[in-house]
Amino acid sequence: MITVNNEGPKFVIADVTITEANLSNSDQFKTELVRLLDEHKKIIILDLQELKYVDSAFLGALVSSLKYAISLKLDIVLVGLRNDIRDLIKLIRLDKVFKIYNYAEEAQFAVNKF
Amino acid sequence: MQNCAEKLCFEFNNSAERLVGSLEYMLEHIAGNIPARADAEDILFKSKVIITELLTNGIKHAGNNNTSFEIETYPDCLVIRKTDLGTPLYLVEPDHQPAMAGENKKLISADMLNSLYAIWESENHIRFASEEGTFDEVLPVEQVMEHFGILIITCSSDEFTYTYDKHTHSNTFRVQLIF
Repeated sequence: MITVNNEGPKFVIADVTITEANLSNSDQFKTELVRLLDEHKKIIILDLQELKYVDSAFLGALVSSLKYAISLKLDIVLVGLRNDIRDLIKLIRLDKVFKIYNYAEEAQFAVNKF
Repeated sequence: MQNCAEKLCFEFNNSAERLVGSLEYMLEHIAGNIPARADAEDILFKSKVIITELLTNGIKHAGNNNTSFEIETYPDCLVIRKTDLGTPLYLVEPDHQPAMAGENKKLISADMLNSLYAIWESENHIRFASEEGTFDEVLPVEQVMEHFGILIITCSSDEFTYTYDKHTHSNTFRVQLIF
């Protein structure tokens, strides 16, 4: 469900490989994301370009994982969002808590400046 | 509201595997019935997130019975109605209704991003309303809530209500989008 694509000194770029993220896989998604944070202890740049459908359960898992990342003084950065998923995140104002970039390279550049 | 121009009835079996197929089927019907003067992209985006959340709600709460969807297109609006015989929404339980006599509005969840209210229009009929928080900077994430279903539908719609019918034990969510 989440595959490491690239790793730098401060970050891990991880691809979400599913197209539908909903109630049926949100727990597993959170488990894998938390495991990535524990194993790498780096900022996760999460590439969501494969995702076409998300629901509130997935967004809840994402927020819960972000809280865990922050507790480790890390972060989860989102990239590659389809327009409608970005609009959904903005609709409930989660763009105020997630750093969102169009591309992984852009996020990588920003993370290296943190 | 004028006479209904188009109506689609759809039964969902509350299976997560059928969520996307059911969503696409209903969206295709809506796409074919949006008036030319309306912002089709906006209506389809809102319909997508609303129906996704209603399907998810069916999977979570409807139990073994099917969930029924009705989509009605009027000249001035779209109505999406979802009915099931599952567990009633906790807000119709006496303990969760407003404590003060004469009050009908209660804050049901809030963080610095959004506040979500339930407004009892009668004992078993609730309308939802949301307000944006006033804090516009990057927020401490620890304070952000993690349950977004009702909030997403409330923020996407022009009217969102829940009705529990004591006689039939049915739950009906009704969402209206104005063109």
